Amino acid sequence: MITKAHRFLSIGWLALLAVCFALVMVLAFRVNALRSQVKRTEDKIIALRLEQSYLQLEFETRASQQQLRDWNTLEFGYVAPTAGQYLENERQLAQLARPDAPGAPAPIRVASLDDSVAANAAFPAFVSPLSGKPLADEAPAATANEGPAALADHGAAAAALGARLAKVPALHQADAAPESTVRKAQARVARVSAAPAKPKVLADAKPAATKPARLATEARSRK
Amino acid sequence: MNTMTASAALASGRVRLANVRQISLVTAKMRTLWVLGGFVFMTFVAIVRIGQLGMTEAAPERTSMAQALLPSRGEITDRNGMSLARAFASYSLWFNPKALGAAGSPLVKTPEEIARALIAIFPDADFGDLVRRLRADKGSYLHRRVLPEEANRVFALGEPALEFPREEQRFYPQGSLAAHVLGYVDEAGKGKVGMESVLDQRLLDPALRGTPTALSIDARVQGALEDELGRGMLETSAKAAAGVILDADTGEVIALASLPAFNPNRSDLAFDELVSNRVSTRVYELGSTFKPITIASAIDAGVVTDLAVRYPTAPFKIGVFTIHDSHDFGPSLNVPEALIHSSNVVTAQIADKLGGAALRRTMMQLGMNERPTIELPARGFPLWPRGINAAGDWSQITTMTVSYGHGIAVTPLHLAAAYAALVNGGVWRPATLAKLDAAHVPAGRRIFKASTSARMRQLLRMIVAKGTGRQANAAGFRVGGKTGSAEKSSQGGYRKTSLITTFAAAFPMDKPRYVVIAMLDEPQATQATSGQRTAAYNAAPVVGRVVPLIGPMLGVVPDSTRDVDISDISPLIKSGEGE
Repeated sequence: MITKAHRFLSIGWLALLAVCFALVMVLAFRVNALRSQVKRTEDKIIALRLEQSYLQLEFETRASQQQLRDWNTLEFGYVAPTAGQYLENERQLAQLARPDAPGAPAPIRVASLDDSVAANAAFPAFVSPLSGKPLADEAPAATANEGPAALADHGAAAAALGARLAKVPALHQADAAPESTVRKAQARVARVSAAPAKPKVLADAKPAATKPARLATEARSRK
Repeated sequence: MNTMTASAALASGRVRLANVRQISLVTAKMRTLWVLGGFVFMTFVAIVRIGQLGMTEAAPERTSMAQALLPSRGEITDRNGMSLARAFASYSLWFNPKALGAAGSPLVKTPEEIARALIAIFPDADFGDLVRRLRADKGSYLHRRVLPEEANRVFALGEPALEFPREEQRFYPQGSLAAHVLGYVDEAGKGKVGMESVLDQRLLDPALRGTPTALSIDARVQGALEDELGRGMLETSAKAAAGVILDADTGEVIALASLPAFNPNRSDLAFDELVSNRVSTRVYELGSTFKPITIASAIDAGVVTDLAVRYPTAPFKIGVFTIHDSHDFGPSLNVPEALIHSSNVVTAQIADKLGGAALRRTMMQLGMNERPTIELPARGFPLWPRGINAAGDWSQITTMTVSYGHGIAVTPLHLAAAYAALVNGGVWRPATLAKLDAAHVPAGRRIFKASTSARMRQLLRMIVAKGTGRQANAAGFRVGGKTGSAEKSSQGGYRKTSLITTFAAAFPMDKPRYVVIAMLDEPQATQATSGQRTAAYNAAPVVGRVVPLIGPMLGVVPDSTRDVDISDISPLIKSGEGE
């Protein structure tokens, strides 16, 4: 009985030894497998990096300065921006929003431009220092081209000026406005375009139409 | 007896049993020892293995990856990190005669058939040469730098003897852009001509070649300069053109162009004629562009204190030589007018008053008597005038001719560095192709007083606003500069129709940041230049076109509301035309 138990014990030890050995082997294999995996990944990284630099080089070659110049000469015709296209500070930006001087030529507008923004941006009427009421009430002549009395409200006028300074968001605003507002605005546009001193809306004017006009002015100034 | 026998037998059986037990015990102990030994051994092996894995395995792998990605030759970039030259593993076409074993022909088809097929893929190859190589027993390159699609087409020929080894080569993605600055790498892998030659050691050093080397060049500016010089060259049918753009405050070369250029990617082509860099290697008499230097020297020395003083313009004789102007500008001119109309007579008189010693000193301070200071290996030595008087200074006639840029030949780079000193407040700094940070800008040496420099800025601006440089007056960029049209000298004196026209400029004149030099070699009178061949009609327009292109890139915004104040000298000018 003792011998039998003893034999089982030694077999058990042997089995444990075998298991340990197997575990060590598994560990070694696993490590080897991982190591070759790492090596493979590294090789892949190297190959990809080389490929990347190859593609980068191809891109740089295809987009080389001389190639870009050739395309620009043939296709695009971009030219360097001129002094008039740079704004140095907010003051210069604000100067662009100045209302037109009396008798100034009407700026060319594209057909899609919503003119209600410009119409809304009319400056507030003068307020009488005595009565505190808008001068429009006292001198009807001053209101010839003015909008309704609501415009005399400084808050609204400032908002309108803000809208005029940022024309693009203002356009979206106009899109989102309820139908009645749009109709009102359209009516105002009609009124404004009928008035001679206000900017005209050119029905067929394209963005490109600004260029010949500018060239014409340049030619005139050269003479 | 029986009992005796039986007891004896019993006793011996007991003894045997005891013996068996003894043996079994020993065996069991031995087995336990073996198992224990096995365990100890396995534990030991496991510990050793773990130790080995933990200590030695990880490190060498990482270096191998860094090594695999290390280029064979370091990258060169422009000042903004744009790649100008880099290592590139390209395919080559190699003929291996041993591909099909030592015996028999290595080719499936005949060499002639293969050569014909290869010429269909590489039209510039030579048929006879290919056949000769394909017949040879020795392996050789049939073509270098094969594109992947070309390699595929060669592969489709089905010849195992045509192999495509991948080889590290030098590639210039921008083609001929800044070719003279970069140079090229020859077949043996050695840098030639430009910075490739200068930086050869650094670019090959394993410790350094992993990081790109930045030059002071701005590739966009370089491109714009090359484009406009090329256009100017075409419009005037000039033989060659050169240009340089220099940072006036640091001496960094932002662009350096010499046309016609070469393509460094094709180092197999013979372009020895084209590698000579006209900006730093060749010397020219640069003519009237020297007048502002003379005037500045005179103002600095106190010889010219009143710009309103008038000088006679009548031609005068010095020995056998007559100094005269290209046009008649009336009986007299003051200094601003002399610059605007580019009068040799008045400049010569001022130089005479200044004296040979002072003018010579200024020119020497500006480095006009030594090779230009730049890293490039080929630098031209100026033709320094020899006409010396008894005191060891320039003779009167030498002083006078040098004052308007004749009798002295320097490189355009000399002129650029001198103009930088003229406009930047009077400090001369060596030109460099290395990108400098603020801490490494050289202190330079003071040559003109700051007040003289301020006056020169006004005068140079005046020349562009009202004088011969009007075609360089890019709106809003406050360009100032001076034209120079010098006749080329030949054995029998000067040739009237072979000119070197130069425009030396700086912008913006209210605070000069960049010096621009454009030079054309033998421009012709064409329709594009209104039938004229002087600098005002060919070199000045090049600068006038380059400045609006490069200004915004270099952070100079055109502004028509600013300018250098020239109101105090503009009343001194009467309108008129000059050279």
